[in-house]
Amino acid sequence: MRHIRLIPRLDIKGPNLIKGVHLEGLRVVGDPHGYAVRYYEQGADELLFMDAVASLYGRNQLSHIIERAVQHVFVPITVGGGIRSLDDARQVLRAGADKIAINTAAIARPELVSELAQHLGAQCVVVSIEAKEQSPGHWEAYTDNGRERSGRDVVAWAQQAVALGAGELLITSVDREGTRRGFDVALLAAVAAAVNVPVIASGGMGQPAHALAAAQAGVDAVAAADLLHYQRCSVADIKQALSSGGMAVRKV
Amino acid sequence: MMRIPRPKPVDYSRFASAATSREAKYGLPGHVAFCQRCVISNQRPNSAVEFSHTIESKKATIHFDEQGVCDACRLSERKRQTIDWEARDRELRELCDRFRRHDGGYDCLVPGSGGKDSFYAAHILKHRYGMHPLTCTWAPHIYTSWGWQNFQSWIHAGFDNYLMTPNGRVHRLLTRLAVDVLLHPFQPFILGQKNLAPKMAALHDIPLVIYGENEAEYGNPIADAGQSRRDWNYFAASDQSKIHLGGVSVASLKSDFGLDDNDLQPYLPADPEQIKQKKIEVHYLGYYLKWHPQSCYYYAVEHGGFQASPERTPGTYSKYNSIDDRIDDLHYYTTGIKFGIGRATYDAAQEIRSGDITREEGVALVKRFDHEFPDRFADELWRYLSLPENEFPVASRCFDQPIMDKDYFMALCDQFRSPHLWEYDQGGWRLRHAVWHEDRAAA
Repeated sequence: MRHIRLIPRLDIKGPNLIKGVHLEGLRVVGDPHGYAVRYYEQGADELLFMDAVASLYGRNQLSHIIERAVQHVFVPITVGGGIRSLDDARQVLRAGADKIAINTAAIARPELVSELAQHLGAQCVVVSIEAKEQSPGHWEAYTDNGRERSGRDVVAWAQQAVALGAGELLITSVDREGTRRGFDVALLAAVAAAVNVPVIASGGMGQPAHALAAAQAGVDAVAAADLLHYQRCSVADIKQALSSGGMAVRKV
Repeated sequence: MMRIPRPKPVDYSRFASAATSREAKYGLPGHVAFCQRCVISNQRPNSAVEFSHTIESKKATIHFDEQGVCDACRLSERKRQTIDWEARDRELRELCDRFRRHDGGYDCLVPGSGGKDSFYAAHILKHRYGMHPLTCTWAPHIYTSWGWQNFQSWIHAGFDNYLMTPNGRVHRLLTRLAVDVLLHPFQPFILGQKNLAPKMAALHDIPLVIYGENEAEYGNPIADAGQSRRDWNYFAASDQSKIHLGGVSVASLKSDFGLDDNDLQPYLPADPEQIKQKKIEVHYLGYYLKWHPQSCYYYAVEHGGFQASPERTPGTYSKYNSIDDRIDDLHYYTTGIKFGIGRATYDAAQEIRSGDITREEGVALVKRFDHEFPDRFADELWRYLSLPENEFPVASRCFDQPIMDKDYFMALCDQFRSPHLWEYDQGGWRLRHAVWHEDRAAA
């Protein structure tokens, strides 16, 4: 039985947990700390914190939120947004993160992935890819929270990122993000088949059954945001759906 | 014969950083100030009667109070604090009760593009207020593919629609003139859009027109009925040298540029006598419902599969508003040139007022994106704005250079820069005053 992780995703802007649709129209949800602690207590396997305006300000500003979260959350935490150098990554790790996620900076300078992997270990380096479908079976990688095109093909970039040392990939579908219409399963299957590192599915989960569909497409973890932030279901509901579908999940 | 000259180089000495006499064009305030709450500047022009818009027109601009806060921010304060929205909802229900039909006819006309705001307006009138709207649309100059898809999604969410698409040759000529004479590529759209709804209401005998958001006047339930009369007065004036489209008089459009009365039909206002006889009322939903553009986006996604554009619009960060016309890219670029106010400023000001972003974030967004040149559709837009002789045998002769290209456009932009806003230094243009300079001034 394949083991599937469930990872609540918390997009942050300034002091607030926010949520968008297609990574746009970012709506203030509340104080991220309470949500993080609740998800941990519900049995989340990891947490993902993304600074949605890091590219705008050119820096990650989540240190205080992470420092506070790690007092109460005892599962691995990944932090992304605005990490452009080894120093930036170290600062985020010092605040208590276990892994860092990079997108915009990796696209601008792919060698950054190797530098981070060499100094921090591949297990620590998540390459985040924001994917938007261009035609059936073809996706383009975006940067800046789904706002800028990169011209890179998602599957080719995923393979390159792994070759450079990425230990894990976070694949977010811009088309599905915030829509609750289910994951872009074709995208996930294409990436999962092309790489030999764990893949986290993100964008579109609208009901627990969608997690199972992603798992069956070959991913190792599923991220959930809207569904949990707006309390449409709980961490346990999603794990139950995975378990009923024949996937192994960590019992709490 | 009227002649449209090739733009000449500007006198850079007027734009030197040390220039002491700094002319303010268009009647703009000579001193530049930024609202203390949002990021709009006091240079923002109010909307005006476009039929009288010529290069000599003086702009009325947004009002700032003694605290340095703009009228739009004061209005949003009232939206949050003093307006009784339950009472407004009752007023809307009464209005709908007065017009609702059960005989199979349309009982209201909702003009719009199928963007998030018009989607919300039509959908909520139909489903929450039990109305039977007909929707009508004035086509963009050049649809974006996602704009067209969203327009289709609107119709497929359950609405009848009339799409009015103006004669492409006439529209291109008027747009080119509006660019050369006024640096206002969006003017032909504004003219047509404004006049379509009352004419459609008269044609289909629908006595209630409901627009979505009111740009400014949340305090008035019925739109300024004098407006259509004013526009008509211009048009009905026997002296066609006083009515302008694209900044050129109707007399000259006919005698110099080869247009006739039929070509000008779509830009004409409705006959106010007919509007009066048919007792047509124009209302803004923004008066009755607390309008929040971001919520309209969520609503349109939820109920109609509305899609944000696949990339941010050049000159700003947003993907969800005003995304259906390729010429929009140039429109906001030109407001940046003329008034120093680009697309990111408009977007951020609105989102700050709505409480979606902080002023600090807004300032950072303006600094990063405002005044970015919109490359993505540029080649297609130059072709759209070009008047080759085989397609425009009469009009093309009036232009020194009928074919538009980037050099021409940029030279034209320079002619429209106001010395009180811009300085030229070491080969580049810079704003003399920007909202992100405030920190510097405070420090």
